[in-house]
Amino acid sequence: MACRSSFAIVAFAGLFSATAAGAQDFLLKYPDIVGQWRRPPGIGIQWDQSKRVGPAQQAPLTPEYQARYEANLADQRAGGQGTDPLGKCIPPGMPRMMSVIFPMEIIIMPNTTYILTDYTDPRRIYTDGRAWPKEVEPTFTGYSIGKWIDEDGDGRYDVLEVESRGFKGPRTYEASGIELHDDGETVIKERISLDKTNKDVLINEITTIDNALTRPWTVTKKYQRERGNVVWYFNHCAENNHHVWIGKDNYMVSGDGYLMPVKKNQAPPDLRYFQSSQK
Amino acid sequence: MHYRSLIAATALAGALLAAFTAAADDSKYPNLKGQWNTLSPRGSFDPDKPPGRGTLAPLTEEYKAVYEANVKDQLAGGHGTEPSYMCLPPGMPRAMIAYESMEVVVTPETTYILIDHIHDHRRIHTDGRPWPTEIEPSFRGYSIGKWVDEGNTGRFNVLEVETRGFKGPRAYDTSGLPLHSDNKTVVKERIYQDKADANILYDEITTIDSALTRPWIVTRKYQRDTKQQFPWWREVVCTENNQHVRIGEENYMIGADGLLMPARKGQRPPDLRYFSQGEVTGATK
Repeated sequence: MACRSSFAIVAFAGLFSATAAGAQDFLLKYPDIVGQWRRPPGIGIQWDQSKRVGPAQQAPLTPEYQARYEANLADQRAGGQGTDPLGKCIPPGMPRMMSVIFPMEIIIMPNTTYILTDYTDPRRIYTDGRAWPKEVEPTFTGYSIGKWIDEDGDGRYDVLEVESRGFKGPRTYEASGIELHDDGETVIKERISLDKTNKDVLINEITTIDNALTRPWTVTKKYQRERGNVVWYFNHCAENNHHVWIGKDNYMVSGDGYLMPVKKNQAPPDLRYFQSSQK
Repeated sequence: MHYRSLIAATALAGALLAAFTAAADDSKYPNLKGQWNTLSPRGSFDPDKPPGRGTLAPLTEEYKAVYEANVKDQLAGGHGTEPSYMCLPPGMPRAMIAYESMEVVVTPETTYILIDHIHDHRRIHTDGRPWPTEIEPSFRGYSIGKWVDEGNTGRFNVLEVETRGFKGPRAYDTSGLPLHSDNKTVVKERIYQDKADANILYDEITTIDSALTRPWIVTRKYQRDTKQQFPWWREVVCTENNQHVRIGEENYMIGADGLLMPARKGQRPPDLRYFSQGEVTGATK
């Protein structure tokens, strides 16, 4: 009887462990990065979190792109948007989307890690061992291939290394208008891992290699896990966007619904087509 | 001794069960991996009916009038009650037209429906949570789902979903068929694979809305792309090349030459009163 019981226990445990093995392996293999991740308190939308937004970022721009940046700043001071494309609700793309303007969710599946920011399209980081495709259709988000690494050899992955390519523009690092190169040949390398001393802090070391830079630009971003009541904000830039572009000129729509200038003495739009349509 | 073994084994099994339910489990959930594309026409919310008036949506008299006014406006060059021309997301239930390819990511706690269109992504919470006391209204709503094993097959085969907590404006399709402005819509879905062909997915969508005289049920169909080893996910950015401009209550267009132009015959130009100090060109000279 006792032997039969033991056999039954072993058989049950064996059967169960067989069906649960895949799930158990999965749990033990990947880091716990489930939940909602936000910018740490006090951190704004600046690219390098350790510096203030704007020129204080000291982006290693080439002289050509430094001149473009200065012109952009002058335009912003005059009331324009400069080179920042978000006024048109163009998505931030990579690497800017990793500033996590709105909270971020990371979903780890065996072949893909998804990054959802509820502000842009999701990032798919392919971890299935695929090679780079011969051709990549350029996107703002880029095409990302990643690899999970067990750096400390404890049998569990702790770092996601990612490389992203295949971009289109315009893209900037932050609202101050620091541009990435028009050629879209940016390469972005990331190392995403949990803080070893605080599992509610996620670290992303982002290195941007771009022809508008004199050298690779590495910044380390931190995100904080929300442990309380998690609410996901569905932000739709186009819903309440008061910026209007007519040709190359930027205007605003006032609270009372009228077109208005954004710069002093700005000329109104050319209305020649209304003249002819009313003949 | 054996009882202790039994307790230990049970505890082990329990621990494994806890782990089991916390991770993706291919033996328990249907295989919905891959890229799904709609097999139903995109132009009409009800795939079995022609778009527009031919859809025969069971609208109340009030909303039939709203719809007819919308048709008239669209015929004149306007957009009527169709909000997505200004890149507003379609929201639910229209998002399930799946204007772009769809991915369904199943985890035990959440099923994600990713459609790279205009932020059409959905989270369907399957963790057993109750309805929250307050919901921040959104175009896609707040979805709670439950996986069901119909026929006791030993594996989930239907995802039942209820979605509430909306904001508007929302329409069912490009014809401008409106949902009620009170946004008290309730959308119920049954998402399941074809029993004879696992590469066909159905979404039976029941919309309960104050603009309808009865619940409106349509079933949309999707097909898994089995040709591409690594499917390409197109990035669609509505705002990137949108030629529509809205100023106050009026919709205009931007011509290929970058100039503002009317969207309908005889449309007046925008009021430029705030430009009184600047140079005025064109119609208002």
